[in-house]
Amino acid sequence: MIKKKKIPQAEIPTSSMADIAFLLLLFFLVATVIDVDTGIGMTLPEYVPPAEQELVEISRDRMAAVLINENGDVLLDGNPISVGLIKNTLKPRITSKISLPNNKKLIVSLKTDRKTNYNIYIQALDQIKLAFFEVRDEYSNATHGKKFNDLTPEQQDESKEKVPIIISIAEPELVKK
Amino acid sequence: MKFEKRRASTKQEIPTASMPDIVFMLLLFFMVTTTLREVDVLVDFKLPEAKAIEKIENKRLVSYIWVGKDERIQINDSIVKLNEIQNIMYNKREVLPNIIVSLRIDKALNMGLLTDIQQELRKAYCLRINYSSNIKI
Repeated sequence: MIKKKKIPQAEIPTSSMADIAFLLLLFFLVATVIDVDTGIGMTLPEYVPPAEQELVEISRDRMAAVLINENGDVLLDGNPISVGLIKNTLKPRITSKISLPNNKKLIVSLKTDRKTNYNIYIQALDQIKLAFFEVRDEYSNATHGKKFNDLTPEQQDESKEKVPIIISIAEPELVKK
Repeated sequence: MKFEKRRASTKQEIPTASMPDIVFMLLLFFMVTTTLREVDVLVDFKLPEAKAIEKIENKRLVSYIWVGKDERIQINDSIVKLNEIQNIMYNKREVLPNIIVSLRIDKALNMGLLTDIQQELRKAYCLRINYSSNIKI
């Protein structure tokens, strides 16, 4: 009888695996940048050459004109106002137009000077957006009992339909020299 | 009388056999979430703060324009001039039709430059923009 040779058990040494994995882990930990892109989203209007621009009449009560001058003073429909109060002034006006048809919803127009500080512009835009968001939340709370973010997509679309965010960035005027 | 030494019969060892698995899981998580920074930002800027901010859902659609304190404009990896923006962005839009332009602008700048950039973007039909800002608490 022939004795079978014992096959030696092949083994990979795994004791250093943890070390290797730790090294890799350390590299990715250091290299990871978890930065979320956050910001205020806007949609610009299409470019129309000045010669082809048409003026559309809009009734006064549909418009909320926000003007910011170079010193950072804010005018809302002709009345001076501080930036932080824009939201609360706009909210009742947006709320009162919820049940109106789409072509009668509030339009907020935002116009600045060339020398206006960017930060103030963002603060004002923030206030306007907040006003719309809060009205949306209130509307969805009243109809569905939930906040806007917790609604189903269909319900969200319905709320968006009722409270559309219409912000118009005014067409820049020619610079007077 | 003979006292017997009391000894715990259990071994005092932490089983390390599963350590590599745990570490690999962590590793996998970080590998998946990592986005390596592709561009070096050459301009110096501080973002404004706002409350009503949204997250950009789709990172692949985002293209950045940086504007520093010194009014230098950076797209991709290079500093560009104002009148070059239209061409660059138009080419970008041809590749990605629903591109979102994230404007990372220093908060101390004036609106004049932003207006000019926006006009260029409008001419290039890049109409979805995002004013990048930090969360105000």
